This record gives sequence, structure tokens and C-alpha cells, in this order.
Amino acid sequence: MRCHQFLPTTTRRAMLQNSAAGFGSLALAALAGQQAVADQKLSPALPPLPHVAARAKRVIFLFMWGGPSHVDIFDPKPQLSAISGQPLSGKSVGSDADSVGTALGSPFKFAQHGDSGVWISELFPHLSRQADRMCVIRSMHTEGSAHGEALLRLHTGQANLVRPSVGAWVSYGLGCESDNLPAFITISPPRGHGGVQNYGSAFLPAMHQGTAIGSAEIPLAKAVVSNLANQRLDKGLQRSQLDLIQSINRRHLRDTTVDQNIEGLIANYELAFRMQSTMPQIMSLSDESKETLELYGIDSEPTDNFGRQCLLARKFAENGVRYIQVSTDYTWDHHQKVQPGHVKESAKVDRPIAGLIEDLARRGLLEDTLVVWGAEFGRTPMVENGDGRNHHPKAFTMWMAGGGVRGGLTYGSTDDFGYAPAENPVHMHDLHATILYALGLDHERLTFRHAGRNFRLTDVFGNVVHDVLV
Amino acid sequence: MKLIWRQIFVTALVWVFATTSTFLAADSPAVEGEKYFETHVRPLLVEHCYKCHSSRSQKREGGLLLDSMAGWSVGGGKGPAIVPGDVDASLLISAVRYTDPDLQMPPDNALPNDVVAVLERWVAMGAPDPRDHESAEEIQRGNPSDPIAGRDHWAFRPLAVPSQDGPAVKAIDWPRSPIDSFVLAELEAANLSPAEDADRRTLVRRVYFQLIGLPPTPEQVAAFLLDDSEEAYVRIVDELLNSPQFGQRWGRHWLDLARYADSNGLDENFLFREAWRYRNWVIDAVNADVPFDQFLREQIAGDLLPHESVAQRDRQRIAAGFLAIGPKVLLGNDPNQQRMDVADEQLDTIGRAILGQTLGCARCHDHKFDPIPTADYYALAGILTSSQVMERRYMLGEQRLMEQLVGLGSDGEQLDAAYEKYWRERPQLLEQQKQAKSALEILEKADAGAFEIFAAEHADAVAEGVADSTKNSEQRLEAQKAFVAALGASIAKPPEIPPRAMIVGDAETPADETIRLAGQFDRHGEKVPRGFLRVVSDTAVEIPSGHSGRLELAHWLTDVNVGAGRLAARVLANRIWYHMIGRGIVRTVDNFGRTGEMPSHPELLDHLARELIDSSWSVKSLIRKIVLSRTFRMRSHHHEAAHAIDPENRLLWRAHRRRLDPESLRDAMLSAAGILDVKPMDSTVSYLGDQATAVGDNSNRRRTDFPCRSVYLPVIRNDLPELFGVFDFADPHATTGLRSQTMVATQGLFMLNDVSVMDAAEATARRLLAMESTSGSEPEARLDQLFGLVLTACPTDDERLELLAFVAETQKRFEEDSDTNAEVRAWAMVCQALFASSRFLVLE
Repeated sequence: MRCHQFLPTTTRRAMLQNSAAGFGSLALAALAGQQAVADQKLSPALPPLPHVAARAKRVIFLFMWGGPSHVDIFDPKPQLSAISGQPLSGKSVGSDADSVGTALGSPFKFAQHGDSGVWISELFPHLSRQADRMCVIRSMHTEGSAHGEALLRLHTGQANLVRPSVGAWVSYGLGCESDNLPAFITISPPRGHGGVQNYGSAFLPAMHQGTAIGSAEIPLAKAVVSNLANQRLDKGLQRSQLDLIQSINRRHLRDTTVDQNIEGLIANYELAFRMQSTMPQIMSLSDESKETLELYGIDSEPTDNFGRQCLLARKFAENGVRYIQVSTDYTWDHHQKVQPGHVKESAKVDRPIAGLIEDLARRGLLEDTLVVWGAEFGRTPMVENGDGRNHHPKAFTMWMAGGGVRGGLTYGSTDDFGYAPAENPVHMHDLHATILYALGLDHERLTFRHAGRNFRLTDVFGNVVHDVLV
Repeated sequence: MKLIWRQIFVTALVWVFATTSTFLAADSPAVEGEKYFETHVRPLLVEHCYKCHSSRSQKREGGLLLDSMAGWSVGGGKGPAIVPGDVDASLLISAVRYTDPDLQMPPDNALPNDVVAVLERWVAMGAPDPRDHESAEEIQRGNPSDPIAGRDHWAFRPLAVPSQDGPAVKAIDWPRSPIDSFVLAELEAANLSPAEDADRRTLVRRVYFQLIGLPPTPEQVAAFLLDDSEEAYVRIVDELLNSPQFGQRWGRHWLDLARYADSNGLDENFLFREAWRYRNWVIDAVNADVPFDQFLREQIAGDLLPHESVAQRDRQRIAAGFLAIGPKVLLGNDPNQQRMDVADEQLDTIGRAILGQTLGCARCHDHKFDPIPTADYYALAGILTSSQVMERRYMLGEQRLMEQLVGLGSDGEQLDAAYEKYWRERPQLLEQQKQAKSALEILEKADAGAFEIFAAEHADAVAEGVADSTKNSEQRLEAQKAFVAALGASIAKPPEIPPRAMIVGDAETPADETIRLAGQFDRHGEKVPRGFLRVVSDTAVEIPSGHSGRLELAHWLTDVNVGAGRLAARVLANRIWYHMIGRGIVRTVDNFGRTGEMPSHPELLDHLARELIDSSWSVKSLIRKIVLSRTFRMRSHHHEAAHAIDPENRLLWRAHRRRLDPESLRDAMLSAAGILDVKPMDSTVSYLGDQATAVGDNSNRRRTDFPCRSVYLPVIRNDLPELFGVFDFADPHATTGLRSQTMVATQGLFMLNDVSVMDAAEATARRLLAMESTSGSEPEARLDQLFGLVLTACPTDDERLELLAFVAETQKRFEEDSDTNAEVRAWAMVCQALFASSRFLVLE
């Protein structure tokens, strides 16, 4: 393991003085008046952004909490079916054990879809029609065989240390396109398995933390953003109260002549007040056509809830949010009854996801929106509890669409049983590096100085998978 | 939960760190420069120079590397290769110009003139170079991790012996103490002068918030204003230092460093049901002004220290929770990996919180900047891996590796054992009960044969004597019934959770660790004897066999002669200064290494550290000295000329302003409302289940509706109370010496809309309206009273006019809506406006 991320202090300071960004971060110290800046301002200036040509401007990450089974959805394994019920020998999958368990063939039918012939099982009929837009990576792998660890690795690259989440890095790297919305929004995020850490900013400035809307357990229709509305005062009264606050603030500022904190406070109240009307406007789906609602499966079951999440994601994308995560509830963890379980869960998300891709494409947003689908891990090709599958971080499938990825491509492969990557393995760190790259960010150069050294999303790992990008 | 939105004033931040659309569109000189570098310079460096002068080349001629900015700025054997902006002084340029016969590059053939011109132009531009870290390892001169050479770094040098009274100054009337002389001397050297003293209202508010985290009551202010003698100030300071609320504020500063939390966080967020005892121990110890060296020793090795009573033993055991309270990955981890991770977390905490050192950097390789070789890391790690903070306990129906607990009180260990036994044996008890019921059913059917077979198989499910078929069947039936009932009763009544504490203990077989190659737990290198940082002392440590070495570590950390005591004193003195003054003398308070900042007032820092050691590590006495200094009492107003010289106020020409931390913010609101209960609290998480953030909707969490001080509110990792998240509470996953002080829009939303703020405002309004007897019922008097309660200030005439007009108008509007509470509601809106205003949120 090598860290290529150190510079002696003197040089770093010299660099600060020489670069405009360095000036900026010094200016920041004065502007923000924060002492936290004392450490941060020694951060080496970011190199000018984007580091590389940006293919996408934003990301929508569709998170399937619990871990869908790759061999039942995107990675057909006839040989696994052939030995279903028999021991899966360790030798056949590169394991030292005599047997890694009893094989369980997929109960689902697979077919090739689109001009490109991407394999997708019968679980995702709507999504199958978007096959030519999808780039399916069959050789994903990660660490962490428990949900908590794997979730943290998926979202932050690390499990035993608190690190900024992918969305926070993106917010830090690209900032926000909107004046009224945060750069990173997570819709219905999980509360368990690391909870807020999965969309936290850790040592990055707090503004980069994901803004949560609701949580995975609550239907989106009931979700609220904290303190977005005043329960006791009508808008007119609140405006008059705010005018009073601002008047006190401005008088305070006059007395002290210059204070960036107070100026910041005054600006923040105006922004907060504006957000009170902007957010509900966006969150309300009332201005969407019936056709659009149908596209996402809204107002019909079982697609209503996830459909609302996906549509909201599109609206945030349209309004300049950089990183939007959409999460299912903790429902994909089928240790038992993987067949009915997967039928039930795929039915909730298939149409909404296909609708999202279609809608983004129709609105011309798909070309610069990177859609990523996946989970913390896949599921074993081996049976558990008679009819279920266990967690499987060694190999699983994720896919991407839009924003600069090669549609219709199936990348990487697993062995004959879906147990381990065979060709072109893609580690979670590689995925992170690739997502950043698509956004024009070099994962080795997107760094932040903290506790005496530079940190990055991929630690000392990660390779951009150029083959999946156009 | 921190809900963070983009805010306007941070547009600059975004501009810098983030979208550089502004940046690129404007094509600032720097961008222009980097473009020039990328298009013209880099290709020719690669083509003509990298072969011999890059970290990837085998040659590294003359020690010079040209593949990074650091490479050329440090330069080779001849010194820096480029002087940015000075073409003629740059060795690189003279080499490529081929004018100096002794220095001609490239050696074979001179470069074409146009290529030389490109390099000249680039150097003239200031040599902009975006390559930031391509060969950082290689450009190190000497060996930064050498612990002996590292003793030259300022933080490791002996404490200076500055004159007792501080340096000589011109304005001899200004200083009230040596501290002031140190500060003034630096100001005078920079042609600056200190700000005037703050007015007494500002001062009394400042001193209350800094010492106890609460505003003074109007009565306390009135008494202080009546007597403007120095003695009156000293009296208030001493009262506050001796008040129990002092520990509730200053204990919290330590809890930030101790990454205190009521739950594990990370992957499995189990509740730390017992953590509150450690929290309260810290508060009590701070109130008792336990000497800081002892305070540290008890936390590192409280379980190993001698004691004279059970009470003392228990206090020390609770203190030893410090090492156990960190976050740990609980599932899906190799136990050996977990052991190393736990030790790493502890080392990181000890390193940053106590020594101001980033020890964690040396886990995978020798520290890149600081004199901490990997061997020293594993010498310390050996002590911690020879200790243990985990044990197997039953939790949620399975045996898991959990934080280690110990029973408190004289019978604590028995109670703990009984409790654990119950839960360990409960599954068997349930099974036994099930079988006993079956036995009873068979018995009731009077099927003797079947019963005999059953009884033979399940002897423990049959009451004594029941198997004896010679006995009266009625009696047998009754006996078995009683047996089933007794089993049911014992299952239904688990023992109460006994008083316990989280604790560290020595492992069964303490041993030295091997260096782990690249930090990977399963790649073993050389074994290193347990020991300490050699940059601090080379005294070998003698660890008695069978001991972890933790006791020795505790002593070493605080030993000012042969241990790290002087460094620890510097770090602590700096932290105290930071909390009192608003910025550290070393602003990177957790990092005294080479990547941290240098002290702005090194002699003052050493003076404070000495004072601390000389007062037997009395934190209170150092705080007292600072608070009585004139430096502490300056006003915070802006001054254009001074700002031009020292924009960051590093030299302290004025007091730093601070945004209230969330605890003070909430406590001050509740205090204005007259509903704050300042009494100590025990657990505020006892109502929670074992899983602190359960998967599923658990609305019980994050309660903040206790009227207690905020230091007692639940600190659930990954699920902080809204208020804490929004107002930059310390992330309880790791040592936090420096909380951020952001100003973001979510804070605005919180102050405008959060029910707790509106409730506090309404309670304040009701209190105000009930105060008529003392201050008259005139609105003017009320407003004055309100300003006193909330802001420790009097309204100006303008403010009075504006606010009273607001009250009148708003009250009228409520009355028009037939609101019976119109007056309360109108005043509540004003109270809330004051809470939300910068006058309240920003401490002068």
C-alpha cells in the first residue's frame, strides 16, 4: 500500500501562495471566520476543475438496500442451474474449501434484450426495454459480509473509519448548480447500517453533507424535510418576524462595522426563507402530467412509493442537485424465499427505474446524468435456509446508464457459478473512481487535508474503468 | 442530523473548493498559468527531463526531481532548481541555457531556443505547477520519521524558560499579567495595539458563557454593574469556577476529545447503556479540579491503580472507560483485524487528544512528516493489544463481542455475573420450561409408560420426586405444576441491569506486537518490544511480566521529566487557551506535528504549560489566570488598520467573536425561559433498546425534551439530536479538538421553525408577562427585561421603538383573529426573534 498524497508543509504553503485557489481558501478563512479553517486552510488548493473532461454533471444512485441476487437478475448461470442442489466445489470457484455450499440455480428465465443483447431476467421486464442504455458491470466485488460494513464501504469507501460519503465528495468537488437547493440530497435513506454516516461529510465542510428527505422506512409521500415549515405562524407573520430579525442583525452589523459571520447569518435567513417555498414546490408532484406519473408507476401499487422517489430524483436533477440517492427500504435481504422475495421487490422498482431512465432521456437529461444502480453486495450462488441466498461481497452486478457510459455494454464477468469475478474485476473503489471520473474529477486529485494529511474517497486504491465510459 | 444546504456566504467556498465555473470562465492568471504549464511545459519536461529527473527513473541525477513542484522547489544537491518569477536565479534555466560550462542540461544536446523560451516564460510566470504529489515520498530530505532528529521539532523541545513577568513592553500600563505582556510584545512588534477593554455587560456575558456555558441572570448582571472594582470581577470568576455548572461546560470540552457517545456507531450501533457514568465522572473530575495528570492516568489505567475504598475503585474503573468508549466495527470482521483496529482507534485518540500527534499515520508506514517510525507505533500498539475492551456477552439473543463491562459497588461483580448468567442461560431455561410443560401434559394424561420414557430423556424438565412412580399421582402432578410455575416466574423476571461501567482490562497473555506490513493485520514483520515514542524519550520501559504496560503508559504520558508530560502540558495549555480566547496559540489544536501550524506565541505557550505543571496540573488555576488577563477582556470590534496588518487576528489585537455552540445555545434559551434544570442527570438513554439506531422506525431516539443541560442529552453516534447536527456538535466517532463553526441556512430554518425554539420563546414570553410585579407591566420595562434575559443588554432607542411597534401590531393581528393568547404570542415572536438574531447567536 502506498500513499501518493503527501507534500511537505513548506512546499504546500508555497503552492498556496502561488495559486489562485490558494488565495481563495485564505479568503475563505477571513470570510467564514471559522477557526475550523485553521486546519483546513492548509489544504493544498484543488487543482483547477474539472480535472478531466466531464461526461456527466450529476449522479442519481439507485440503492437496493439488502443486496439483490446477481445470478437471478443480470448474471445468468446455466451451469449453476445444472448442478442445483449439489455441492458447489471450492475448486470450481477458486476456494480452498472442499465445498462452498449447495448450489441453487436461478428460478428465473433470462433473455437478451435490445440491439445489444444485454441479459436480464424476467424480474425486470420494464427495465429490459432500456437495455441499450445500460452498461452492466458483472464483476463488481467489495469487502464486508455484514450489511453495516458493506453499506459504509459502498457509500464512503471505508468501514472502520469515518469518511466522507461519495455524494459529499461530489458536492465538494463540483459545488451546487442551484441557489435554492443543496448539492447532495438523499431520498429515503437507511437509518441503520451506518445511518447518516452513509451520506455524511465527515471532515469535509458540513455543507457537503447529504440532505435527507424522509427515511427508508417511511413512505415518501409522508416524508418531510426537518424544519421546512413553521407549524405556528403563517407566512405573512413569519415574514414580518424575519424582517425584525434581519433588522436586529443589520443593526448589530452596523455597530461592529465588519463581520462576515453576521453577514453570513443575514444571507442564510433569506436563503432559509426561500427554501421554505422552493422545496415543497419541487417535492409536490402536482405539476407533473398524468402520463409522467404513469411512466413511473405512481398512484398504482406496488410501484407508487419508489416511483415517487424516482420522479423526485428527476426533479432534483433538473433543478441543479449534483448527487441524488434513492434508496429502497431494507427489503432485498432474502436469506429465505429468494424467489417470491425477488418477485415482490423487483415489481416495486422495475417500472419506476425504467420510467426514470425514459423520462430523463425524453427531457435530454440522460446524456449528462449518470444513473447508477446497485447494492452493498450480491447474494450467494449457494442456497441458504432451503430457499434463500446469503450475502455475497465477492462478486455481484451493478449497472450504470446515461452520463458518458457505454450503453448496451456488458462489462466483466464472473466464473461459471457467479461466485467470483473472472474477467475485469471492478472493486468498489474502482467504481468510485469511475463515477468521479465521469463527473470530470480525478479521484487521486480530489483531496482534502485533514489531521495532517490529504484524504481522498478511494484512499490509496481505485482505478478508473475507462472501458465503460465513452 | 446535519442538514446542510448551500449558503450564500459560502459561495466563496464553493468557488474555491468546488465549482470553478466562475474560476474557469474568468480565466484568472493562475488558471492561465496552469493551462500554459499543461499545454507547453509538462510535455517538454516529460520529453527532455523525466528520463533522469523523475521519481520513476532509476537515475535521479543530482538528486533533482522535476516531476513535481515539490521536487524542483526542494531541488537537488545544488538547492532549489527554480526560483519562481526569477528567471536568472533559476538553476534550471541556466542549465538549459548552456551558459555555465559546469551546469548544462540536457547533457547531450542543448534544447532548441524556443523550448528554452517556453521554460523561461513559465518561470517568469511564477512557475505555476499543478502536479501536487507525484513524488512526495522521494523528495523528502533526510528521514522525517527519525525519532532522534525529530527532537528538534518545536513541540518536542524542552519548555523555554521565559521571564516570569513576560517580555518587556512599551505600553507598560496595559498588562495585568505576564500573559498580557507576551501578547502585547508581539502586537507592538507588529505595530499593533490591543483593543480597548470590553464594556462590563459584554464582559460578564462572555465570562459566564466561557466558564459555565450559560448567560448571567439580569440580577447577576445588575450586581456586577454596581461594583466596578477588580475585586468584583475576581469574585465572579471564582464563583463561576467553583460552581457545579463549570464542569458541565468544561467537562464537555474533554468529552469532545474522548469521542464520548452513548452508542457504538459504525456498522452495529448498539447502545452504550453505561457510558453516562464516564460522562458524569468527567464532569465531576473537572469540577473537583482533579490534577490533569491524575485525570489522564485514571483514564488510561484506572483499573490498575491502587485504591483505598470501593468508591475510589469504582471511580477509577469508570474513568478507565475512556479506552472502551470508541466506535468499533462489530460484525463481519476478522478478530485479529478487529484487535488491531481497536488499538488503532485508541492510539489515534491518545495521540491527537493528549499528545497532539497523528500517530495513526504510522500504522502502515513510517510517518511521512513526523518523527514516528512504524516501530514506535507498534511498540505502543502492543500495550493496547495487550489490553482488552471487548468481551463476549449476550445481546439480542446471541453471544456477541461487545464492549467490556464491570460491576460496580461491593457486590457489583456478583450482580453482573447473575445478570449475564440469566441471559446466557435463558434459551436453555425456555427450552426447559417447554419440556417441563410437556412433562406436565403427559402426567395429566396419566400415561405412565410415556411419562417414564419422557422423564428418562428430559430429567431436568421433571421436578424432583415426580419421576418416582411410587408416589401419589396427585402430589406428583402438583409438584410438576409448581415446577413449571417456578420456571415461568424465573424466566419472566430477569435480574435488573446491575450498575456497571465500561472498562478496559489487561489481556490474559500480554505480548509484544509485530510490525504489520503496510498496516495489514495478517502481514507480520519484525516484533517490537512494547514501549513509547522515542522522539520523546529513550528510556526503555520495563513492563512486569503478565502486565500490558498500560500503567507504565499512563505514567509516561504525564511524566514531565522522562515522559511526554511537557508535550501533554503544551497541548493542554493550548486547548485551554483556545477555549478561552477562541483560537489556539497553535490553531491546529490536535496537530502539533510538522503538518500542524506553528505557535503564534511560542513563549506564551511555554509559559502557560509551565504554569500548568507548576500548579500541579490545575486546569482551573490556568483558566483563572487567562480569564483575569487583560487579553481576555478586550472588545471584539473590527479595526480597519489592524485588520490590514493582521486580518486573521492571530496576534490578538481584538477578542475573537464566536458563534454559540449548540449546548450553550439551547441552555441559554431554556435559561431565559426559566425552565432549565441545572442538576446533574444520570442516563438519558435508558428508555432506548439495545440497538440505538434500530433498522425500522424508532421514534424514541434523539430526545431533547429533557429540561436538563445539554451536556446530558443523548449522544447517539450517527443519530445526533437535530440541534447538535445543525450547530456543529463534535462528531462523536473521533477526537474533536476543534469543532467547526459554520453558518448555514439549516441553522436559519432551525431557529425559525423548530418547535423547541418556539417552545422556549413562548415559555420566555409567559415568564416575562408574569414578571410584572418586579419590573412593571409597561411594554418598555418588559422589553428591557427581555433584553436582559436573552442578550445581557439594553435595547437602544431605535430598537425599543421597532420592537414595541412589532409587538403592538402583531398582538393586534392575533386579536383580530380572536386569539386569546394574543399577547403571549406576540411577545413569543419577539423572544424568538431575539434568539434567532446575531446578537444572541454570536458571542462578542
